[in-house]
Amino acid sequence: MIAREMFEKFKQKFGPLILRADLPSDSRLFVFIDPSSVKYVCQHIFRELDARYVASIGADDRPFSGKFLVAHNFAFDRDHLLCSVLTPLPAENPRIDSISDVVPAASWAEREMRDLVGIEPVGHRYLKRLVLPDGWPEGNHPLRKDVPWNSVPSEFDPEREFKFDDPPEGCTVVPFGPFHPTLDEPAHFRLYVEGEMVRGCEYRGFMVHRGIEKLAESVMNYNDIPMLAERICGICGCVHNVAYVQSVEEAAALQPPPRAEYMRTIMLELERLHSHLLWVGLACHIVGFDTLFMQSFRIREPIMWMAEKISGNRKTYALCVIGGVRWNITSEIKVELRQVLDKLESEWRAVVAAVSHDKNIQKRTRDVGVAGKGLVKSAGLLGPVARAAGVDIDCRRDHPYAAYGRLDFDVITDEGGDVWARLMVRMKEVFESIKIIRQCLEKMEDGPLQLEIKDELPVGRTGLSSVEAPRGESHHFVITGENNRPRRWRVRAPTYQNLQGVPAMIKDQQIADMTISLGSIDPCFSCTDRLETIDLRSGAVKVWSQEELLKLTREKKA
Amino acid sequence: MRVIGMIAGGLLNVGLVLLVAPFAQGVLRKITARIQSRQGPPLLQPYFDLLKLLGKEDIESGEVPGMQRFAAYLSLATVLTVACLVPMGFSAPMNGAGDVILLIYLLTFCGICTLLAGLAAGSTYSLVGISREMMSMIALEPLFAIALVVGAVHTGSFRLNTVLQGSVYSAGSFPWSGLIMLVVMLLSFQAFVQRVPFDISEAETELMEGPLMEYSGPKLALFKYAQMAKLIVYSALFVTLFVPWGAGLAFPAGWLLFWLKLSGLVLLVTVVAATHARYRIDQALRFFAGLLGVALVALVLASYGH
Repeated sequence: MIAREMFEKFKQKFGPLILRADLPSDSRLFVFIDPSSVKYVCQHIFRELDARYVASIGADDRPFSGKFLVAHNFAFDRDHLLCSVLTPLPAENPRIDSISDVVPAASWAEREMRDLVGIEPVGHRYLKRLVLPDGWPEGNHPLRKDVPWNSVPSEFDPEREFKFDDPPEGCTVVPFGPFHPTLDEPAHFRLYVEGEMVRGCEYRGFMVHRGIEKLAESVMNYNDIPMLAERICGICGCVHNVAYVQSVEEAAALQPPPRAEYMRTIMLELERLHSHLLWVGLACHIVGFDTLFMQSFRIREPIMWMAEKISGNRKTYALCVIGGVRWNITSEIKVELRQVLDKLESEWRAVVAAVSHDKNIQKRTRDVGVAGKGLVKSAGLLGPVARAAGVDIDCRRDHPYAAYGRLDFDVITDEGGDVWARLMVRMKEVFESIKIIRQCLEKMEDGPLQLEIKDELPVGRTGLSSVEAPRGESHHFVITGENNRPRRWRVRAPTYQNLQGVPAMIKDQQIADMTISLGSIDPCFSCTDRLETIDLRSGAVKVWSQEELLKLTREKKA
Repeated sequence: MRVIGMIAGGLLNVGLVLLVAPFAQGVLRKITARIQSRQGPPLLQPYFDLLKLLGKEDIESGEVPGMQRFAAYLSLATVLTVACLVPMGFSAPMNGAGDVILLIYLLTFCGICTLLAGLAAGSTYSLVGISREMMSMIALEPLFAIALVVGAVHTGSFRLNTVLQGSVYSAGSFPWSGLIMLVVMLLSFQAFVQRVPFDISEAETELMEGPLMEYSGPKLALFKYAQMAKLIVYSALFVTLFVPWGAGLAFPAGWLLFWLKLSGLVLLVTVVAATHARYRIDQALRFFAGLLGVALVALVLASYGH
């Protein structure tokens, strides 16, 4: 009903601008609109109808429809509806009006679209390269179908240096990363610093792209991709694994058996448990409180052992195939898992009691890295960052998937919007996850783990899936295709949105607060950097050989 | 004969500090590990760490390698010189060679070594580190100076042995000033020995060791050694100045009691470090400024004989 009601609203408002629409289920709405009206339509959906921006996808659909495709995805969280606004663009010189001045959160997605698919967002105010290295030749767009997955253009110049913007007047530049003790993944922030105050920053990431989407679209098949998807991230891999599989299942209208859905829920929540405990530890380490760092890692360890018992791996569970799961929970594991959860709950209660009265930690985290409701809306911030600002969103409840619709749990929110509030939200979510797993163990009935799929999956269907990762919503978009593989698969990890809010969060703060502010979004750079065709370092870093580096350090000056 | 005695005593103190400091560090690490539910490294690990670093290649790096080397030498030398001036269970060996003012100067010098080290490295992080170090030095050093001066005011003498004997309590009436300074010094002691929550200038997770970031090998070993020695020397100073009771006992008893008190203080430092998060520089400065205000009150009280 909801999808139909929303579509009626759209028809009244936009009328002839709608080319066609697709309502595959009650909670999905695909609207094809005229390219000239995209900005107007998106503005209305984002502002007047107060939808949440999710992701933008550019796709090269020329071999099939002769056109390029752009999709802007929005979520109506209270109505449990995901809506995709699709626009076909001509094969020659594809251009589309940028929506980033009405929907600032779309800024990165549009830059990425320009880099990788070559769709020009007209009117975008900051069209610097985002994803491609600087030495990459103009006009070569790796995600176009006529570019082979393993090609490196001959004009590619790996030595080319990244051009940074000029810092504002009176500020010195403090480079932060690509390697920094608190930033264990390659990403580079250039902080503009005045004394001890940060006045702004420039971000350069995407240094370790692995070409995952291109690889999936060109050489892998439907059931290979889940294994690849979970390697997007070392912490929330299972999220990508499940999200991909769900989006394909949705596109092909497959319904996995109930026991498989419970299995997915249990593994996702185990993953959230270990991720949140890891984060609390790291956050404490960042502010110099190593005792709690060690304790939370100790408490976390049995969860890793349980994951290993179930899947054979501490991480990277290789859980899903299209239409089901590969692992089961035996009755012995059930008993053991319950014991682990009981112990975890009591130990975590002690930690929460200790931390929530600790003035010292509060001093370092209160009013630090503040992101209010306004920033959450405009930058599209997600997960605990949004919930800590009082924005009540959680895909597990708003867009139920797997077994979440049959479970009873609370969505934790806070009002502070600062690092302290995020800490509290994550700490309390641990108890909700324990609650969810217990219910799953209670409710899951015996039954098959996989669906038998006899026919080939239908071609040209679109599927969306939002999965609540520990860091926020992971969104996957799939167009099914020929040769047993998707035509287009787009992954939008939560850090992709949350990172865009960081410059606003660290502005006019002390350098000392930078690390914890950045840390508080629980950044996952490997999730964000997922789209490159070759594994060379970006132009910002010259590729030195080991000998050269050794020589350089001994000679003092380059 | 007196000169030989001085030199022998000085060497004895230096030797003691060099010998005990890594062990104290080992104890500190072990206890920290226990608080964190870890096994922890063996007690003798810091000795091996230092030996390993000393055996490494001596690499020149940073903007001014000469100054960098000098800073490392100076740092350890300063701490060891201070060690000659501090009573370690018996009277200060170089008692006649200087007075309390010299001691105050030398203590300031330790901070200056860090500044030199940071300047020599010349990177942005080390510069931020030394600006933090400088700010905390300005707020901190007067605290120890005031404590020593309070003692000097009470005893009417700047002589080391006179002041460093719990002189802060030797006021004519009830020793208000001494007790106030005891509290002030207890609250700021972590900062003097550069431990959490006041390890702001090195802050690994923010500044990547700040001034020390360019150090490696033998030079790093010297700096680390100096830091370990600093803990012992400052603790010895604290004990002689504020916890003098029992110092007059005959040789083995008084001496053992002194080291027992010192160990207690090291233990306190460890526990505080393991249970606190690092402060931000502005928060720390506000805290130090508050203490400085209280210390000035103590100084005024002392000058009125309380």
